[in-house]
Amino acid sequence: MNKLLQFISKSKMINSCGDSRAPSFAFEIKEYQRLLTELKKRNIKIRYITDINKDNLSYCKELLNFYTEIRHLDGMKANFSINETEYMASSTLIQEKEVEQQPPGLIQQVIYSNVKDIVEQQKYVFESFWNRSILAEQRIKELEERTVLGQTEVIQIPIKAKELLIKLVQSSKEQVLLLLPSVNAFFREERLGIIDYLKDVSKKRSVNVKIITPVNDKIDNIIQNIKSDNIPNFVIQPFENPFAEINVNTVTILVVDRKESLAIEKKDDSKDDFVKAVGLSTYSTSKPTVLSYVSVFESLINQIKLYDQLKVHGKMQRDFINIASHELRTPTQAILTFSDLLQHHPKKRNEMIEAIKRNATRLQKLTEDILDVTKIESKTLNLHKEKFDLTVLLSNTIDDYKKDDEGKGKIRLLYTNINKEPLFVDADHARIIQVLSNILNNAIKFTKEGKIGGNIYITTEKKKIDDNNQQVTVIVKDTGSGIDIDIFPRLFTKFATKSTKGTGLGLFICKGIIEAHGGKIWAENNEEGEKGATFAFSLPLIMDRHLDDHFEVFQIT
Amino acid sequence: MSNSNNKKRILLVDDEPDIALAFKIGLEDNGFKVDMFNDPQEASLNFKRSLYDLLLLDIKMPNINGIEFYYRMKEIDTKVKICFITASEIYYFKQITEEIFTLLGAKCLLRKPIKLEVLVNVLRKELGLFYENNKNKNNSSKSLYI
Repeated sequence: MNKLLQFISKSKMINSCGDSRAPSFAFEIKEYQRLLTELKKRNIKIRYITDINKDNLSYCKELLNFYTEIRHLDGMKANFSINETEYMASSTLIQEKEVEQQPPGLIQQVIYSNVKDIVEQQKYVFESFWNRSILAEQRIKELEERTVLGQTEVIQIPIKAKELLIKLVQSSKEQVLLLLPSVNAFFREERLGIIDYLKDVSKKRSVNVKIITPVNDKIDNIIQNIKSDNIPNFVIQPFENPFAEINVNTVTILVVDRKESLAIEKKDDSKDDFVKAVGLSTYSTSKPTVLSYVSVFESLINQIKLYDQLKVHGKMQRDFINIASHELRTPTQAILTFSDLLQHHPKKRNEMIEAIKRNATRLQKLTEDILDVTKIESKTLNLHKEKFDLTVLLSNTIDDYKKDDEGKGKIRLLYTNINKEPLFVDADHARIIQVLSNILNNAIKFTKEGKIGGNIYITTEKKKIDDNNQQVTVIVKDTGSGIDIDIFPRLFTKFATKSTKGTGLGLFICKGIIEAHGGKIWAENNEEGEKGATFAFSLPLIMDRHLDDHFEVFQIT
Repeated sequence: MSNSNNKKRILLVDDEPDIALAFKIGLEDNGFKVDMFNDPQEASLNFKRSLYDLLLLDIKMPNINGIEFYYRMKEIDTKVKICFITASEIYYFKQITEEIFTLLGAKCLLRKPIKLEVLVNVLRKELGLFYENNKNKNNSSKSLYI
């Protein structure tokens, strides 16, 4: 020890190596503490290499306060020091209890040399160690992170797993994720009281609880009951995705506060008792493991959501097929049967041909509607635009209706061109007639349904948007039964119909056509006290100065 | 079948006037007596016990659908036979039909479009006429019509 003190006293700079036990001696043995204080006092530059591990970590951190620089080298075994001119090595470190009368760890034998060659040799050895070593700070950080990462433990005794499960759930502070692999697993956990514990922590500590479980009617009831409890952060997500079930059908996964996870393998799902049903369990506080479970859980939730969307989409497809096929088969049936009957009923020949024609037209209309829907949805609706006066289109179309409806009498179509000037638009003439007809047909149909007859008012409004843009709004106001409150929110979507006839495609197509023109379409029920509904659509107007001198007004013949 | 008293009487309800009319003419040509309605409400008002041998019902109809209509009429006349005929996809109300069919003992569900001769065949079978007619005629099904 004296030798060591002497050694230090002569040094301005020391290079030193120690094995993994060495750092602890500096603090466990009084004599060494004296050395350290001495070093600090003299402000000696010390480079130190040791094997930093989990056990000596805290000592090494402390040593950083005394040594100029510490580095780590895996498996460092050497114990020596060199200053400018001297070399000193301990050959034996005495282990605690090995020699009773000696203090533990004290250096028993010391090799000393001030032979220049030996010192130089050892300096070289030290430098090669130094170059291969890494910074202590870096090593410490790694070790500390590894400690935080925690551990993973396999639990072989089901009773332990059960106790841990309950303890974890009860100790949760922020979040609990629970994935149950089977209906029976749900009931087992419920019997253990897990569901109640979870309700409890959710109520008392606002712990966010998410449970994914397969369901049957009984579980569905339980879910409904829990829902009626109105616990804000408590969600049970049923899953019926067959693909997901294959992936995780054997393990119960519990993640608490994103810090601890417990994965419980199920051994025999038929058993009611938790302890009999489960096999091995894995408990982990290791960050990557826990977070992997979290991400498994979250991707399952996403998968469930996607699957639900898929189901909605599937339902829409089936709705479409069902409505379309009903509307295709109905006129087909009429055509088929009347054609069969035609030859045997010469007297009813004309009547039957009329019926066949009527149904063929209906088929044709349906075919066109379905084509239009397809075009609108795939955004391939081609407009054959031309410049024409909308007021002419309106009065011609309405005149046609008047002729058609003559004798049916009770409904009057009244068109007033308030502006008393032409309204030029650049639009697909046939498509605008299609839209107008659709709206007028609806108006007539629902005004008839009102059974009091009545008027349908058609007006136009011109509106300046800004210096370069004007628009015209066509307004059709009927005095019919109004828009059904159930239909209203989805009036312009596909299949919006309450009628047993018809596809509910008409207004969807109208919306597609008007929007393709850069216009808008909307509807509202007339104000209280007034019967009926008002439909309106707007189109951009051609500004007067943009009108081409050469164009001709399109007239319906 | 010339004797109108022996004619089987069918109540036909379909909200499509053209189809109802075509079926009525076609079935009458084949020796049935047919009462036809487009409005199920109206049809139900005209329904009496033991008046009809068979109901031929569309399913998708306003106010009362075919299945409900049958359910109500069956309470009045437990013996009346039933054939549903629909243009909808069968799977669309598969669950309902399965339940109702089990409940009501109905088993005849036809899909439009159907050929008149097939319809006539099925109805004869449902009414127990099929084999009888087969015995009387040398030729099979074809000769049965018209």
